[in-house]
Amino acid sequence: MAADTAARTRREENLEPSAAKRLSGWLRGYRPVQGIPDELFDPMGRPRADWLSFLGDFAEYPEGEFKSRFELATRHIRDTGVSYRVYGEEHERSWPLNPLPLILGQDEWRQIASGVEQRANLIEALLQNLYGDASLVSDGALPAAALTGSVDFIQAMRGVKPRGGRFLQFYAADLGRGPDGRWWVLDDRTQAPSGAGYALENRLVLSRAYPNLYNAMNVERLAGFFDGFRKGLAATADRADPRICLLTPGPLSETYFEQAHLARYLGFLLIEGDDLIARDGRAYVRTIAGLKRADVILRRVDADFIDPLELNSASHLGTPGMLDVIRAGGVSMLNMPGSGVAESKALLGFMPRLCRRLLGEELRMPNVATWWCGQPREREIVERNFDEMAIGPAFNGQGEDGALSRPRLMADLSPAERDKVRQQLRDRPGDFVGQEVVRLSTMPALRDGNLEPAPFVLRVFAAWTEDGMKIMPGGFCRTSERLDVRAISMGAEARTADVWVIGDRPVERVTLLASKEEVKVRRIMGHLPSRAADNLFWLGRYLERAEATLRLARSLCSSLMDSESAIHTAGETLTSLQQMLIDWGALDEERLGVGALESARDSLHDQDAYGSVIYLVRAARRTASTMRERLSADFWALLINLEKELVEGAQSPISEAEALQQVESALQILAALAGLAQENMNRVAGWRFLDMGRRIERGINICRMTRAFAHDEATTDDLDLLLDLADSQITYRARYLVGLALTPVRDMIMLDPFNTRSLAFQVQTLKEHLAVLPSLQADGMLEEPSRLLLPLAASVDTADAARLASEQIQGFERTLLKLSGAVADRYFLQGAHAVPTVKLAGLA
Amino acid sequence: MIYALRHRTTYSYGAPVTFARCVLRLTPSQSASQTVLESQIAVTPQPASAQDGVGAFGEHTRTVTIDVPHETLIIEARSRVDVHAAPVGDPVNSYPWEVVRALAYESRALGPEGPAAYLYPTRRTPAAPAITDYARASFSPDRPIIAAAVHLMQRIRWDFVYDPEATTVSTPVQEVFKARRGVCQDFAHLMISSLRGLGLPAAYVSGYLRTVPPPGKPRLEGADATHAWVSIWCGPDHGWIGFDPTNAMLVQNDHIVLAVGRDYADVAPIDGIILAPGAQTLEVEVDVIPEGDPLPQPRPARAAG
Repeated sequence: MAADTAARTRREENLEPSAAKRLSGWLRGYRPVQGIPDELFDPMGRPRADWLSFLGDFAEYPEGEFKSRFELATRHIRDTGVSYRVYGEEHERSWPLNPLPLILGQDEWRQIASGVEQRANLIEALLQNLYGDASLVSDGALPAAALTGSVDFIQAMRGVKPRGGRFLQFYAADLGRGPDGRWWVLDDRTQAPSGAGYALENRLVLSRAYPNLYNAMNVERLAGFFDGFRKGLAATADRADPRICLLTPGPLSETYFEQAHLARYLGFLLIEGDDLIARDGRAYVRTIAGLKRADVILRRVDADFIDPLELNSASHLGTPGMLDVIRAGGVSMLNMPGSGVAESKALLGFMPRLCRRLLGEELRMPNVATWWCGQPREREIVERNFDEMAIGPAFNGQGEDGALSRPRLMADLSPAERDKVRQQLRDRPGDFVGQEVVRLSTMPALRDGNLEPAPFVLRVFAAWTEDGMKIMPGGFCRTSERLDVRAISMGAEARTADVWVIGDRPVERVTLLASKEEVKVRRIMGHLPSRAADNLFWLGRYLERAEATLRLARSLCSSLMDSESAIHTAGETLTSLQQMLIDWGALDEERLGVGALESARDSLHDQDAYGSVIYLVRAARRTASTMRERLSADFWALLINLEKELVEGAQSPISEAEALQQVESALQILAALAGLAQENMNRVAGWRFLDMGRRIERGINICRMTRAFAHDEATTDDLDLLLDLADSQITYRARYLVGLALTPVRDMIMLDPFNTRSLAFQVQTLKEHLAVLPSLQADGMLEEPSRLLLPLAASVDTADAARLASEQIQGFERTLLKLSGAVADRYFLQGAHAVPTVKLAGLA
Repeated sequence: MIYALRHRTTYSYGAPVTFARCVLRLTPSQSASQTVLESQIAVTPQPASAQDGVGAFGEHTRTVTIDVPHETLIIEARSRVDVHAAPVGDPVNSYPWEVVRALAYESRALGPEGPAAYLYPTRRTPAAPAITDYARASFSPDRPIIAAAVHLMQRIRWDFVYDPEATTVSTPVQEVFKARRGVCQDFAHLMISSLRGLGLPAAYVSGYLRTVPPPGKPRLEGADATHAWVSIWCGPDHGWIGFDPTNAMLVQNDHIVLAVGRDYADVAPIDGIILAPGAQTLEVEVDVIPEGDPLPQPRPARAAG
């Protein structure tokens, strides 16, 4: 490959000899595919200046150092749980990022930005026309059948004026370089583009991995774009300080992490369809303080699924009546339902004409040549060039039968398959488009220390802001591992890369900090959605139950380690311990009587026992995963780590000492989690629900343990064990020098308001929580949870340890169970565990 | 022909329902061949809100919400309708079906009046090669569309057994095709699937059919039923023509149209969601009484569906 030796030499001369050697090695070894445009080398075979300067700096990292830097930053991704999940897969996959960014110089970028901006405006104008008077159709510029095939052409939206005036608030275009070296549009994303959150995360990793490079190269920052995006959304609301929600399909969605990350970054409320209710022409979020208005909804749910009443009736992701609210202008939903129609490949061929017609200008960025077969002339072209074409569905979500559920290269099909396609094309021509086959252009990727060309697709984002359409200076880039690629999906072996747009001026540092004038100081609690409250409550319960089970397991292990207590915790006490583990599902019933070590191991690792530690920790992790935006990265990392340790611990048989060590380590992580919740979580409603779940669970456990080990015939071994389980040994020994006795132990465990592990302390804390949470009673009457809790608190306050009967303790326990139900009824009633919404039965 | 219509639906729930939101498509459609003289809908319990509107396919809708706890929901629609359809044109003089297909793809009408809205498969009328091939036997090259469609309709009547026990409201059309059994809704969906499989515009119609009591027997109250059939766009000259595959008859003045859509989901007479912890049962009574006929005799209630 002929390179511009002058520029190259200049770059290499300024480098350390070892770096120069590395750079020239990279450049020499790099072999782009003949005839396919490449990012590193321009059409003349010269390295582009910005790439050269980046690679030169990059080469200066000592061998191995950039690798370890990158790995460290990547580990941060894994630890904070940044991952995407392949739909239907139980385990989330960690998410591969290229060490090298895609580098775009200023000239290149201006071309791209101007093309994407024009296209966003073009599509907006198209949507306005289609859902307005549809003059494009009635005067023959666009056949109606090129639109009606899309599930996203929504008849019910015709004639609807979007609140805020626009259909398309957020747009993305997938780009590649065409054979002529210019940037081409491969796909339009107009429904609910994904990837912007990943782009943010990619940037975070690379700027951490190579801070010097990042700062030296004048890379344009992303924060300003998101700031404009947020303000643009807020401007569509009809009140100041609007409630902006991000509507997600939920944790099963492929891009859930991204949605949670974006919601958190932008300060939006992350909600699912059943968090919303449509009433009196407006949309409301169900919160623990009743219904609160939703002003703006950033939609990540496909339009077809947002309203089971009017659209897809099988949808569980939507809100009945939502379309009515949108039509009435009661909420801004962006992008507007129906915007997705512009993603249809059927429209690609019309774009140049539409651009002249709607904007009065030439299309700045071409798209892949596409022929919609619903037109006789176009169909003829496709049939004539059948073997050189890629043929695929003209519309999203259709053509699920047979060979053409996705674009296929006709040359790749068997003769029989080709005949079938020909038949389908004759029967239903409008379902298909033919496309010119274009190979993706390439960019450098680092593999085993060498530079190799990798085909890529660049997604560029545009958002409508108060100052017009803005383009994110960067993007979401996906690369393929295979060299010969026409289209790629995140599902297979794709990786991703950050996108650096190199500014020609020093970049301004913008963060999402608002200016002083904009922000009112506020200390009151945010309105917590009922579903989130529900999840936090259960997260608290799971974690506390896991801790209690670990303490039981620890007692089993330590009984084996310590010769003296081995005698103690033999026989009846051991049986009681095992019985307790069986009662709460940590141990299989048939295991009664097995050795202490086996019991301990089972209760730690038995994946099928619903009360085992691993089971509880998984339940906690699943619950936490549905509200990642509410938990700190540290919290999440600890939880993941806990699960990992438990899974790894289960791999091989373990000794008593190892089992004990595992238990201790798990307890330490749980203590750290509790500490994080206590010290690092804002004391708003969310924390209260997490803590209430913990307190109720702990109260119930204390009652059970006391009944089991501090009954009227309890031995000193039992009492000793109970103090261990309740983590109250030290306090007791410090206070009572005489030794173990039933009454003081009971008092300390049940009634002592100063012992943070006592029932009295849990009840007291619960009282404080309920007092602060919002009330729905306008008449000042007590709500059900308080009606249950206040008498319990009075009984605990006035109880006498010497006369505390087992039945009374059981009574406390039952009240706490009822309280858990009452909290759910009062605060979560309309949440996930509530009465289901069902369809009225239909009739034939 | 003027008809008096009564359509009463009763939902009974196992436990109180605290909230319901329903879309009612129970007002007959107003068109060149049908004039609505009177129409009213009564809902018990009294809805908290009721709003009239026009649905996506031009149908009249009423959206009601009920927020008092109730164990029974009764919706009764009564109307008087004058049906005066023009006679169907000569089947042999209609366009060849391939021409109709080409014209449909060229159509400049985006709304529910044009053929383009009814060209594509839907969830309930998926494109299925076997079903398309079934239609192909009637659609020989250059055959006039009405003649071909009549042939297809008659084959469905001949090949399929009317059997209310065989299917439910959600049975997929492929299963109906395999079992060769079903009710009017199934036959309509089947015929639509097969037509769309050939790129022809076909719509789903919900409504009522005039029935004639057995000779010598009085008309019994509530003994009629809702009905469904197919409307095919037969080119610009003939426009939309109704085909009833259940009875192998062309639609004239015995059919009263409630609503037209792409499939059942677009036109379901009652669509709703409720907050419901328990089971629900449904009972429907329909009277279709030609003006001048004697009033129906009371009869014991029966379950229908």
